[in-house]
Amino acid sequence: MSAAGDNQSPRYLDAHLHLLDRQVLDVHGVPVAVVDDLELSEIPAGEEIPPDTPPPVITALLSGPTLATRIFGGRPPESRMLRTPWVAIREIGVVIKLSVGRDTQDLFWTERWVRDHVIGRIPGGRHAPKGEQADSNDRGGS
Amino acid sequence: MKRIFGLALGILTAIGGFVDIGDLVTNAVVGSRFGLSLAWVVVVGVLGICIFAQMSGRVAAVSGRATFELIRERLGPRLAVMNLGASFLINLMTLTAEIGGVALALQLVSSVNYLLWVPFAAIAVWLVIWRVKFKIMENVAGLVGLCLIGFAVGLFLLGPDWSDLGRQVLQKASTGTEKTSTYWFYAVALFGAAMTPYEVFFFSSGAVEEGWTTKDLAESRANVLVGFPLGGLLSLAIAGCAAVVLLPELIGVTALSQVMLPVAMAGGKLLLAFIILGVVAATAGAALETTLSAGYTVAQFLGWPWGKFRPPAQAARFHLLMIICLLVGIGTLMTGVDPIQVTEFSVVFSAVALPLTYLPILIVANDPQYMGEHVNSRVLNGAALVYLVIILAAAAAAIPLMIITGAGQ
Repeated sequence: MSAAGDNQSPRYLDAHLHLLDRQVLDVHGVPVAVVDDLELSEIPAGEEIPPDTPPPVITALLSGPTLATRIFGGRPPESRMLRTPWVAIREIGVVIKLSVGRDTQDLFWTERWVRDHVIGRIPGGRHAPKGEQADSNDRGGS
Repeated sequence: MKRIFGLALGILTAIGGFVDIGDLVTNAVVGSRFGLSLAWVVVVGVLGICIFAQMSGRVAAVSGRATFELIRERLGPRLAVMNLGASFLINLMTLTAEIGGVALALQLVSSVNYLLWVPFAAIAVWLVIWRVKFKIMENVAGLVGLCLIGFAVGLFLLGPDWSDLGRQVLQKASTGTEKTSTYWFYAVALFGAAMTPYEVFFFSSGAVEEGWTTKDLAESRANVLVGFPLGGLLSLAIAGCAAVVLLPELIGVTALSQVMLPVAMAGGKLLLAFIILGVVAATAGAALETTLSAGYTVAQFLGWPWGKFRPPAQAARFHLLMIICLLVGIGTLMTGVDPIQVTEFSVVFSAVALPLTYLPILIVANDPQYMGEHVNSRVLNGAALVYLVIILAAAAAAIPLMIITGAGQ
């Protein structure tokens, strides 16, 4: 596997060591999720694989319900997979940085829901604590 | 000058913030039953928390990653989810105990039943988390918590036979009618009270909240290495007061008022008022820390946005979770469960859960990918490994000792 981003020379990543369970940050540096699982391109099941077939590639990072299935086994229904497409990745390091804002991501819906229906409605919920400098980067996308 | 002031402030905060309801109750119970013969455990525990806090603070400052993110990366989801479950439940128990402690202290000043104070205490904790700046929160709780020095003052005013207290410290075996297993049970409890996992979650996440960098390392080290041992002295003073007054009269500590009784005898109303203020600040401060720790651990495990530096709406699930935890705490206390007993259980279970957080931090503190040139020194690793053995031994012994002794009866 080579890392995303054209400006880097290809380097090798270990999916277990460098991708799984890493923190994902959006373009503003705000935590989005942790990589709970990876989605690979389709591998034909039960058939002989011809020798010249290209190897499967990672198509998306998965989060959310896939955590439970990764721990306990099984596979969540297709409709409940929360994907971050591989092309949205800008940088892979100690954390994985995306090139998009978090609010464009489906997997952020629980956070959005709680914000809009609960926390945002409590007085003072949309202000930084007294005297604290609100991180201006932190407001992007909402 | 500003630097020196900042350093002094940090140290004072560390002293005042060191003691919580677990230390208060366990030290008084131990002092009233075993005198100062378990004082060595406090020393061992304080040294341990110094090493542990210093290491996790350094990891957070250098890598910018807080404890639970690392636990998940290092242990994988299966082990980490078990770790999260255990840490979260024990933290919730400690949170409940701390709110109960605030309410009990307020009952002492007001003669209003503590159950009526519980919701107010919890709402006050929530308001501070909702609106008050992190730094102010930490400093106010720590500085007012310094009133606990009243325990040391009380011990001097009692005018004890110091040579007798010294003999108790050096006494190896159990005292009087207490069994050896009970002695060791309380040794584990005292160790758990000194080295509570939430302190580390809070310390490392707080480093991220305050945006520590490698430049702040020296200051944080000084805060920990000076502040915590002085805070440990307060713990010993609490045990000492109980040893001087309660032990000879065979009074067992079952209520917060008994913890303060020796001080009231020595210093009268004024010193008692001082102490109660200190207890309220210390338990409220710890309630804030445990509530935030509940949010920190889950948010870091699942990758949610977290932190007091964000407006609550920008860390919505984090804040919702803390509200739920406080409500669970209120609910638990409203069943009429004795907060002192909750405290006693929480310190023992803290000892059980400690290896789960200690080991990953020790591993990451040695990982150059995260730490660069700031990996553990050889000396520190030596000490950290000795503590790993102690922590594992305490964790393994805790539950069997609890069963054998009937939780120290």
